[in-house]
Amino acid sequence: MKILIPIKQVPETNAVRMDEATGTMIREGVDAIINPLDLYALELGLRLRERAGGEVVALTMGPPRAIEALREAVAMGADHAVLLSDKAFAGSDTWATSLALAAAIRKLAPYDLIICGERATDGDTGQVGPGIAAWLDLPLISYVAGVSELTPRMIQARRLVEEGYEDLEMDLPGLITVVKEAAAPRLPTLRGKQRARRLNIPVWGPDDLGLTATQRGLVGSPTRVVKIFRPKISRQAHLVKAPDAAAAARAAQELAAWLASRHLLPAAAASRAGQEVGHG
Amino acid sequence: MAEAGIWIFGEQARGRILPVTWELLTRGRALADKRGSRLTAVVFGAQLDRADLQEAIERGADRVLACEAPLLEHFLPEPYAACLMHLIREESPEILLGAASSTGRTLMPYVAIKADTGLTADCTELDIETQTGLLLQTRPAIGGNIMATIKTPQHRPQMATVRPHSTPPAPRQPGRVGEIVVRRAPPEALTSRVRRRGFRPAADENALAEASRIVCVGRGIKKGEHVALGRRLARALDAALGGTRDVVDRGWLEYPAQIGLSGKTVTPRLYIGLGVSGSIQHLAGMQTAEAIVAINTDPDAMIFKVADFGIVGDLFEVVPALIKHLEER
Amino acid sequence: MPLPMSVPHGPPGPAAVAVGSTAAAGATAAHVAARPPAYQPVTPALLDELRGIVGPAHVIAGDPEKLEAYSHDEIAEPEYARMPECVVRPGSAAEIAAIMKLANRERVPVTPRGAGSGLSGGAVPVHGGIVLLTDRLNKVLEFDRANLTITVEPGVITNEINPLVREAGLFFAGYPMSLESCSVGGNVAENAGGGKAVKYGVTGRYVTGLELVTPTGEIVTLGGKLSKDVTGYNLIQLMVGSEGTLGIFTKITLKLMPLPKASADLLVLFPSAESAIAAVPRIIAGGGILPTALEFMDRTSFMAACEYLNETLDYQQAGAMLLITVDGATATEVEAAYEAVGEQCLQGGALEVYVADNHTTSERVWKIRRNIAEAFKVRSPRQSLEDIVVPIAAIPAMVTGLLEIARKWDIEIPCYGHAGDGNLHATPVMNPAWTDAEWHDRLPRILEEIFTLTARLGGTLSGEHGIGHKRLAWMPLFCSPAHLEMMRAIKLALDPHLILNPGKIIPPPAA
Repeated sequence: MKILIPIKQVPETNAVRMDEATGTMIREGVDAIINPLDLYALELGLRLRERAGGEVVALTMGPPRAIEALREAVAMGADHAVLLSDKAFAGSDTWATSLALAAAIRKLAPYDLIICGERATDGDTGQVGPGIAAWLDLPLISYVAGVSELTPRMIQARRLVEEGYEDLEMDLPGLITVVKEAAAPRLPTLRGKQRARRLNIPVWGPDDLGLTATQRGLVGSPTRVVKIFRPKISRQAHLVKAPDAAAAARAAQELAAWLASRHLLPAAAASRAGQEVGHG
Repeated sequence: MAEAGIWIFGEQARGRILPVTWELLTRGRALADKRGSRLTAVVFGAQLDRADLQEAIERGADRVLACEAPLLEHFLPEPYAACLMHLIREESPEILLGAASSTGRTLMPYVAIKADTGLTADCTELDIETQTGLLLQTRPAIGGNIMATIKTPQHRPQMATVRPHSTPPAPRQPGRVGEIVVRRAPPEALTSRVRRRGFRPAADENALAEASRIVCVGRGIKKGEHVALGRRLARALDAALGGTRDVVDRGWLEYPAQIGLSGKTVTPRLYIGLGVSGSIQHLAGMQTAEAIVAINTDPDAMIFKVADFGIVGDLFEVVPALIKHLEER
Repeated sequence: MPLPMSVPHGPPGPAAVAVGSTAAAGATAAHVAARPPAYQPVTPALLDELRGIVGPAHVIAGDPEKLEAYSHDEIAEPEYARMPECVVRPGSAAEIAAIMKLANRERVPVTPRGAGSGLSGGAVPVHGGIVLLTDRLNKVLEFDRANLTITVEPGVITNEINPLVREAGLFFAGYPMSLESCSVGGNVAENAGGGKAVKYGVTGRYVTGLELVTPTGEIVTLGGKLSKDVTGYNLIQLMVGSEGTLGIFTKITLKLMPLPKASADLLVLFPSAESAIAAVPRIIAGGGILPTALEFMDRTSFMAACEYLNETLDYQQAGAMLLITVDGATATEVEAAYEAVGEQCLQGGALEVYVADNHTTSERVWKIRRNIAEAFKVRSPRQSLEDIVVPIAAIPAMVTGLLEIARKWDIEIPCYGHAGDGNLHATPVMNPAWTDAEWHDRLPRILEEIFTLTARLGGTLSGEHGIGHKRLAWMPLFCSPAHLEMMRAIKLALDPHLILNPGKIIPPPAA
């Protein structure tokens, strides 16, 4: 079984601090890490390989330093890795990104299963996984929370949707995107790190992938960011200090009244809270 | 101009149109009015409730374009995409909006590639640029502290998914007239390499994505057992219960309840954070809520910066008192 | 002849240092509650004089709610608290000198206090009187790039230093775990250690100059920006760790180090405490690497933390963990260092070596170590955080002994801490089924067993938290009468009326 895991290197959002004046992220000195949801994809891939045999290949598109994310994936247990990196890829939107990754995956064929994180924590689009499936004309299960069975021809997965979980079965080859429940990621080991450092990771550019100038980077991207602005969040918190139980009780009463006055309570509770505190 | 006009992709379950569709009609109607074009609601299913199709007209659609086939009963990417592509090829709509739901966020990116066009995810604002007539797609980016406006200048349709609850449902206008077209699904939509084998409904909690009120517990809840306090408040408010990543990591709540960048993005009318500090990754998932309440002992907690009402105090003192106010006479 | 501490004006102290008696901790607590007759109360007239020195806005008196905050440090148990009669917040060394002269004249005790983040009661006014807050002395006076030093006032928060000097490629290596809240003055007074002490040593190593006010109210400058200084007795290092009993610091000059630009953490799983500890000399001698941090977690500790955190790593087979940080100027240097360390661990029988070299993974492994105390707080409301030090090679014997004590008393005693310097936070956790009364009755006996074992293994009472009044009763177990006499002689020489922070460190002579 050959399992391909497209991953993305993202800034570590938890370490990011906000510039209070401009409202932007201070990215300086912030680590670049593997997108957290891609770690679930990687972990699931490694476990399926451990169950079914075969190999796991991690691939990513990004700047040269994205090779660190691939080495981390190898340190966790991926067998091989491929980096798509070239100035021509800069500015790619999800259309161009999924096309480049799909082209790389074609080059890696034959394969059985592609596992993507449901989305990346920086772009937050969730479009690259389904996009790759569309380029390659593969069947797709998104939001996979667990895999119950894997045979050379078929995978059974649980899909997390708004109302619950769907049980689905998909012919292989195919693509799944995973959410957190799919598998809790392992940590890289020393032996893995040593292997990752020695491993030769090929770097492919647009020519290796047979992509024309209109298919890559900003030029190949149908969408354009035309404006960036700070959201007008004119929230001014009404702050109530409640240092002790008595103050807490008063604060709770004030909050109930506030909720009622803003019509934020369900009908029954609203009438009760309203009566109690004298609001309509 | 714009004969094919503006389309929204409506969602259904068991043949009944889902409320998120009415929100899309609000969006679509505003764009269609500004553009001076026709609004079409596209909806797929096995057997769609005809009264619901009429309701879509009453809520602002000029036309309902429905496709029916047994395989369309539940969302499956391939038949849904094939069916939608068939209609797109036939009519070349100018704009296509879907919901940023599990269905929309799967179907729309798949179709965008097949249609060779761009797609903007999870928009919270949509507008028409006056000079060009182009769709302006605005979405929170980089953790929600920046908004980005995106255009699709050349490719058609211009596609976007819209964050649920980011706009109210379109009101019903009884007597409003429009065209209802119900068709058989095209032949290419009759196969799928993915098969649905079963369904397990979510355990007990009111589903986060649909909830208009959400109580969210954070690290400050301290113990798994204390999550019950959050659940009691949620019950008193008829709210869904969610948690921060930390709470879910600790196994105190299941992942479907996780709010934030690596969990769900929610836009309820009311969000109440209990012991939530407000990390960037969490704020990104909830700061578009209409009203935000935070209860935390730390006056410097980031969550107070986005809150409308904050209590700096011990949630274990405040919440029981609040529940009393809500439950008791 | 023992110097009589309680004469002429000294506190009586515990009537007998009842080591071996079940009343030891009780005696300390009872003692600190009583006002020794020799000290005088803070009178309205004295308050007026204090207001005259520091300004009326900087004297807190008569408001128990406000004073309460200065009656305790970070120790949770209320029996260690003691209310001050007033709090003064001087703004200069001259004001502090005037306060000390006044206090000597009036025979009122003065207890200096930094940020109040201590863990031994060092800032608790056990004889009441005046609490002297250094929080207004909070300026960074000089960052001297040419001499690689920074001079600060004592109220500067430790965490504020590094952002100031980082841009110059430097850092202050003092790294107590509480660095976000503690102040530099308190760090020097307690000679704080923390997680990086293996490689960088403790706070005292970086103190090259001090300006201080003596207990009798003189202003003295010791040292300067000098890396070497044997001009007379090493009074700086006498002052470092003196817990505010020998002087009040008003200026502190700290030596800065080159900032390590890269670091990595190894979480190493060992089958047993013995194998984990045997790896420590292997890492340092065999690997040729001095890690920045070398933390030890016994099974009780990491099991509780991992369960609390819902950690999914495969830790069930492990008997002990080491958490090792290496740092360096470049990523390559760090890679070579962690590889050398990791190889030594594997050769020493490690079950697995996990490598964390980015924020996410690093946070994941450190979370285990940082959440041990929290995990036990969730299980039981009472615990006694201890701070023993044993020779590194004695750690396994200590762990085994602690397990026996825990079994005997039917409690848990997680043992974790800085393996690289043998400093273990062995923390008896109350059996949740016990009443508070049972806990207070049994804790002194449990501690006695722990400390007796510690002493037998060649260890000592506190590595970085200090004695304060929390551990006063146990001093004779670790310090000979002659040793205690030396300390008494020094104290009396500098503070003849025992005005400055009385009732700390040195127990009164045995009857």
